[in-house]
Amino acid sequence: MASARISGIRIAGLASAVPARVCLPEAFYELFGKEEVLKVVASTGVRKRHLAPPGMCTSDLCVAACNRLLVEGEWDRRSIDAVLFLSQSPDYSVPFTASIIQRRLGLTTACAAFDVNLGCSGYIYGLWLAGSLIAGGGMRRVLLLAGDTNAHVSAEDKSVALIFGDAGTATLLEKSDEGQDFIFVLGTDGRGEKNLIIPAGRCRKPSDETTRIRREDPEGNRRSAEELYMNGAEIFAFTLAEVPKMIREVFAEAGKTVEAVDAVVLHQANQFMLEYLARRMKIPMEKVPLSLGEYGNTNSASIPVTMTHCLRDRLSHKRTELLLGGFGVGYSWGAATCAVGEIVMPEMIFLGMDEIGKEEGT
Amino acid sequence: MTRKEFIAEIALLMEVDVGALTEETRLKDMEGWDSMAAVGFIAMVDEKLGYIPPPKMIAESKTVGDLVKIAVAMLEG
Repeated sequence: MASARISGIRIAGLASAVPARVCLPEAFYELFGKEEVLKVVASTGVRKRHLAPPGMCTSDLCVAACNRLLVEGEWDRRSIDAVLFLSQSPDYSVPFTASIIQRRLGLTTACAAFDVNLGCSGYIYGLWLAGSLIAGGGMRRVLLLAGDTNAHVSAEDKSVALIFGDAGTATLLEKSDEGQDFIFVLGTDGRGEKNLIIPAGRCRKPSDETTRIRREDPEGNRRSAEELYMNGAEIFAFTLAEVPKMIREVFAEAGKTVEAVDAVVLHQANQFMLEYLARRMKIPMEKVPLSLGEYGNTNSASIPVTMTHCLRDRLSHKRTELLLGGFGVGYSWGAATCAVGEIVMPEMIFLGMDEIGKEEGT
Repeated sequence: MTRKEFIAEIALLMEVDVGALTEETRLKDMEGWDSMAAVGFIAMVDEKLGYIPPPKMIAESKTVGDLVKIAVAMLEG
């Protein structure tokens, strides 16, 4: 188990942005059948998602969130030492997206910037990395921009077409003398490789004419090799094997129990899974906020989106004890305990195409 | 838990009458047996028997009896 205790940092602000464009389950009635769609909705809990129109990237959502955050928090952009773009959907394969974000945000060139490719566990890893940059890396203020747009999801694949949502978030971490330690527990199991994967389109299997052709699987779902494949049963089995253990470990490291925590913010994989996990770990559902009903599974953004959607009022005014947990693609998992609040938290941003690129610094 | 009770739990998952299922029932023939039912099966076995059934064995199961075999194998192993 990889664990870490980081002192001398605090989360100073957090903002989330989703595309203005909404997608409702009705859009899939004709393709999958109304009854089937309603069954999926009942099981996953996803009643609505926000999806980026063509031409809107994760970076656009993250930049929008970040600009709103920096303005509302009245932070000097010149004080930002590092920006970390945490996503599976970069603008390009080359160059990395964080450098483009440095320019778009109008940050100084005396700034470290880099991308990290992680999904469901990404926000936890992002906090750990950003915190470590401050605690050990000489940085004072770090922006963690986490999010995803799900362009590579086949609309003809019932196992994935109804679940994912798009979002981009910005979290500002800074050096601080006050505040509690952040405790992290992190893990990885590469045997999860094939269970949540886009098999073609990069180095292992480059794009060619065949990789773009959709084929039907034994369950009647159609996807190409350049589209996401997800084995729900394998991922659920992994979740049950690792997540309760991870939560126990982070509580043990932090010397806390669930009673000491005000909210348990988990990666919004699906409602059935979260409710079962909470029951198994004896965490009351009142402490487990859900955003997936409105926004779907937003990958690495799901924890901050949930914080904006469910805890904004509380975190803006009150110090709040949090347990955060992310788990999934990789397999990768991480949990953190921290105290957050009062922090700057703008309202949820709904981004239209016409608002992209109208930011300072471009 | 008896075999009968286990099959009753499977019937619940598939949203069918327990009378509609026997150990010979082919999963392919049951509309209620899909990837969501497989996830529900994992949760049910984990909750009732305290073990996580291997998804590969679930995917290879052809009949309700094969699902019962998984539980038996785990209890004995």
